[in-house]
Amino acid sequence: MVDIEKIEKRTVQSFYEDGLFEIALGAVFLLLGGYFFAQMTAPKGSTLEDVLSILFVLVIGSSAFLASRILRFFKRRITYPRTGYVTFKKKEPGTRRRIATAVVAGIIGASLAALYSLSPSVKVLLPALNGLLLAIAVLLFANKIGLIRYYLLAAASAVIGFAVTAAGIGDIKGVSLYYGLFGAAGVLSGLATLVVYLRRSPRPAAAGPEGPDAH
Amino acid sequence: MPTDVRLLADIDKVIHEPARLGLTAILSVVESADFLYLQRETGLTKGNLSSHLAKLEEAGYVAIEKTYRGRVPLTLVRLTDAGASAYKAYRARFKKFLERS
Repeated sequence: MVDIEKIEKRTVQSFYEDGLFEIALGAVFLLLGGYFFAQMTAPKGSTLEDVLSILFVLVIGSSAFLASRILRFFKRRITYPRTGYVTFKKKEPGTRRRIATAVVAGIIGASLAALYSLSPSVKVLLPALNGLLLAIAVLLFANKIGLIRYYLLAAASAVIGFAVTAAGIGDIKGVSLYYGLFGAAGVLSGLATLVVYLRRSPRPAAAGPEGPDAH
Repeated sequence: MPTDVRLLADIDKVIHEPARLGLTAILSVVESADFLYLQRETGLTKGNLSSHLAKLEEAGYVAIEKTYRGRVPLTLVRLTDAGASAYKAYRARFKKFLERS
């Protein structure tokens, strides 16, 4: 008997089988890590510091857009010629979901801000907190798509966050290191997946027109 | 006729065929997919895939669009609204049957 749910899940998973999404995700976190590192090392009161402050919104706002453009470019170059062209339905989150996400994000943000103002020493915990929050997000995503690699990435996020905190590297320095390491983990996982994908899926030999009328 | 058997008797036979069911399940998740993608995902031969797609198209469940990606001919397949409704109904009916049996 045909397992419909398995086929639907496998179809969703096919989007991630080339590892390009992890590479793009990792690149975004490497960019964020680099940005925070540059901000931390910029001399106080310098032009560089001002420029970086202005760039913050641009970096945050454009990183997801850039990642999606780059992802599409490489999908066209690498994936579609090998395993075929596919576009997935874009599910816009409903109003209730948007509100729930905004409320959760607000609560987390307010809690962190309150914690920080009550005890500035909590900044030592920032990498661990970042690692934990991102681990939960990646875990939810992994559960949705059912790929073991993403469970591993969730675990990596938590481990890296706690390790950076345990090493006594807190505040922005710790956060930038955490983003950099998590980004590197994403890129490495994606590259390993890409290598396996390329080995398993060679470009089909140039053939005539494809499709129902081609026969 | 017992209710659960009637559920199966009324089932959409265009979708019920295993290869077409697989194709419809894939197309229910995607916006559109090309011939190569569908062939790889279903494991069907070109001839089989063409014939099953033709049957689904005849029933009005899929739309097949011939286009080009650069200079390469591309056959894009997508589930129509009628196909999406039929698949949804099939899924619900079959689930009900499995729960009752």
